[in-house]
This record gives sequence, structure tokens and C-alpha cells, in this order.
Amino acid sequence: MQIVYAVFMLLLVTFGAVVMSLEILSSNLMSPYFGGSIYIWGSIISSFMVHFSVGYVLGGYLSLRLPRLSVLAAFLVVCSLWVILIPAFYRPVCELVADRIDDVRLGSLVAMNLIFFVPVSIMAMVSPYIIGITTAGRRPSWLTAGMVLFISTVGSFSGTNVTAFFLISLFPVSRIITGLGMICLAVSLFTLALRPDRRIEK
Amino acid sequence: MGAGSAIALVFLTSLHLFAATTAPAATDDRTLYEGDSIYHHITIRQEGGERCMIFGRQRDLRQTCIDLAKPDASVFEYTSMMFAGFLFRPDAKKICLIGLGGGYIPTVFRMHLPQVQLRTVEVDPLVEKLAKQYFRFALPSGQTLSIDDGRQFLKKSRERYDQIWLDAFNSDYVPAHMTTKEFLQLAKSRLNEGGIVIQNLFGDNKLYDAQIATFQAVFARVFVFGGQKSGSCIIVASDRPACEPAALRKQAEKAGGKIGRIDLIAEAGKCRVAPVRKNAPILTDDFNPANLLLMQKK
Repeated sequence: MQIVYAVFMLLLVTFGAVVMSLEILSSNLMSPYFGGSIYIWGSIISSFMVHFSVGYVLGGYLSLRLPRLSVLAAFLVVCSLWVILIPAFYRPVCELVADRIDDVRLGSLVAMNLIFFVPVSIMAMVSPYIIGITTAGRRPSWLTAGMVLFISTVGSFSGTNVTAFFLISLFPVSRIITGLGMICLAVSLFTLALRPDRRIEK
Repeated sequence: MGAGSAIALVFLTSLHLFAATTAPAATDDRTLYEGDSIYHHITIRQEGGERCMIFGRQRDLRQTCIDLAKPDASVFEYTSMMFAGFLFRPDAKKICLIGLGGGYIPTVFRMHLPQVQLRTVEVDPLVEKLAKQYFRFALPSGQTLSIDDGRQFLKKSRERYDQIWLDAFNSDYVPAHMTTKEFLQLAKSRLNEGGIVIQNLFGDNKLYDAQIATFQAVFARVFVFGGQKSGSCIIVASDRPACEPAALRKQAEKAGGKIGRIDLIAEAGKCRVAPVRKNAPILTDDFNPANLLLMQKK
């Protein structure tokens, strides 16, 4: 069972960090097409909030219906592949939106949602899903809902700072995003390979 | 707390919000205006006969200053160096200026170059309002102003210019999305045959080297005017400049030596071919550590 908790923590920290890293990086993706104003940050933050809300509801719902970590991990594989592909498709998407929508507020909001809705909503499922699984187990545990949010937020804290203070200065944005996607994919596949649901049942 | 006092508190708080937006504070008698736009904290101060617009909280970062008695006199070295860029394209009829500030540059055009069509692009509507109110900025026929992000403007409008002047600054520096190779390629695509791009910047940081390298990656010929009284520098870039630095003085003499109060002959002497910057990165939309490079002093 200990290993399952380790996997929970790994997922919480990884996806908590990557989601915030993507939020920081998205301003670099948006500014060439929609300018560098406060509007861009308004679009970025509000879009992510919408994605979080969708992910929370979906994660909570699915964890009741299918309280299995392998289901969550399968979603995370899709999310990781999407992230890996972002560098390949964000330019044409932004170009297309900027050409058709003159207002930078609406334009950046649309572009943010086209690029990030799927992966960020899935990443936001991680915390409620893990809370759902631990609750379904009906065993007293130190991993309370509060601890789940705490661990995920520690991940977010590191993801934000490492990206803004170091990664952007050292690597091209596209390479950072691909790298983040690879890390997510590795963690998701590792989770699947461990067959955690069998261990939980024991 | 009762419901009544809670409502009163909310009401008083919202009153404060309105008060803050409608009444710009004058903290001392030399501060004429202080307030916030969606982009900057803007202060307008006057010292003696000099009036300045300042972005951000650092009072030494003066965006534009004018001499009230002589509004066409260049208070900063960089503005007169920018006009020397004119020597590379003296017959310019159509110019695009990105970044209005207090409107010193359009004022010189209005007073001394009325035959030139000047299109100014400014992102911040409050800057336009303040320039009109405090800096006597006015739009004569022949000049136009667009409120838009400089890069978005060039992308959307397909107009071409003989010169594009880049003087967009926020409270830190040149906005990062206007330092990249992709942006310069866009600007180049909006130039007429033999047109030039002029960029205002500072020479004391590593971002300067990266900007030179980026210009060199886009334009065949890149020249630099180095400030003698200040850390300001001007980059002039073109694929087919009409003139080389050595011939600039002659060109300045031919042009009459002056634009208003700006001494072109003195400015011509500050020009040289930009040396190749080894180890300086070329800035792109994908890799642009502008903030970090700006902090690294040379």
C-alpha cells in the first residue's frame, strides 16, 4: 500500500507543477499574437480557472463511478500526448484566431481554450480523483483531502518558480513544453505499469 | 458586525475605489499627474521648464521629456540620434512610429517635417490623452494615430513605410514580443524598397548584444549610433541603405545640417557599423530570455 501512496504523491506533485509551468509559459505563446498586456494574463488565468472547474467536477464524478487509478492514468496519457504536441500546433492556432478575431481579449481567450482546455482539465482531475479513490477505500489514512491539496499546491509552487526564474532563461519555450509533456507521459505510464489498483484491493 | 454596518463598509470601500480612479493624486507641487492605466503607473512631473512622463515607480526612468519653451528641442540624446537615421533615407515620405510617450517625435515632425506622412502607434489610450493634455501633442493633417499594440498593428495593416521607428517601452524596457527575429521580419516586410528600421535601446546590458545579433540575422546592414552623453543607442537596419556611415556627414551637410533644432552633422559622427556579437543569442518568439539578459550588465 505504501507504494500506492508514493504514486499518489508523484502524480500530485508532477501534475501540480506542470499545470502551473504551462500557465507561465502560455504568456510566451500568446504575446507574439495578442500583445503583452494585462489582457493576456486575464485570459490565461480565467481560462485556466475554467479548465480547473471542469476537471474538478469531472474528476470527482469519475472517481465515484470508476474509482481506479488506472482510469485516471489513461486520461493522463492522453493529456501528456496533447502537451507534447502543443509546440507543433500552437502557432497555426494562434495565427488563425488572431486573423479572425480583432479584439485581443476575445482572441487570446479563444486561443487559450483551444490549446489548453483538454490537457489542463485532465490535469485538474488528479486531486479530486485521488481524494475519491482514498475515500472509496474507506480506510483511515493520513492522506486527507487537505493533504492532497497541500501536496499538489507544493508542486504548483515549484512549477511556477522553476519555470519563471530558470527554465525560460535557459531553454526555448517549445522545448520546455515538450519536456514537460515527456515527464507527464513517463509518470502516467509508470503509474499504469505499477498496476496500482491491484495493490489497493489487497 | 450587523448587516447594516457590513453594507456600509462595502459601500465605503467602493466609494474609495471610485475616488482613486477619478482623482489622480498630486503628491507634491511638481507632480502634475499620477495615475494608473491598464499598462503602467504613469507620473507626469515638471522640473523648471522641463516636463516629463514617467512609467513605473522608478522616478529616473523618464519616458519622454519636453522643454516647454522649446518643444522641438531634444531633451534626450536618443531622440536626436533617431532623426539622424533620416540620413539613410532622406527622401522618406511615409514613416511609422511605434510608441508615442509624450509625443516629442511627432511634434518635431509637425513643426519641421510637415511633408512626411507620420503614422504613430501607441498601445495605451491614457498615454494619448496625457500627451494631448500635458505635452501639447496634436495631430495635424498628414499625421495619424492608432491605438494598438505595435506588433499587432504591423501584422494587421498591410501598409508599407520608408522608415519604421521602434520606440515602444514599458516600465521595464522594450516589450519582449517586440525584440524577436519574427517581429523584425514582420517590420521588414512592411518596408518599401530600401526602407530602414530604427530602434531605440540602451547599450549597458547583454540584451543589447542579443538585439544587435537579432537585427543582423534579419537585415543585411546594421549600424549603431552610440550615445556620447548617455547610455542610449540607436540601431539603424536596412537591406539596401542609401548611405554608409563614412558618407553620413556629407549627407547631413547636403540635407542642410539640421532638422529644427537637431544637429544632424553632430549626430552623424556617432554612427558606426555594428560589430558582430559572438556568443549573443538571436532572440526568437520561442527563445527569448529578454528579462534575464536585461539584468546582466556588461
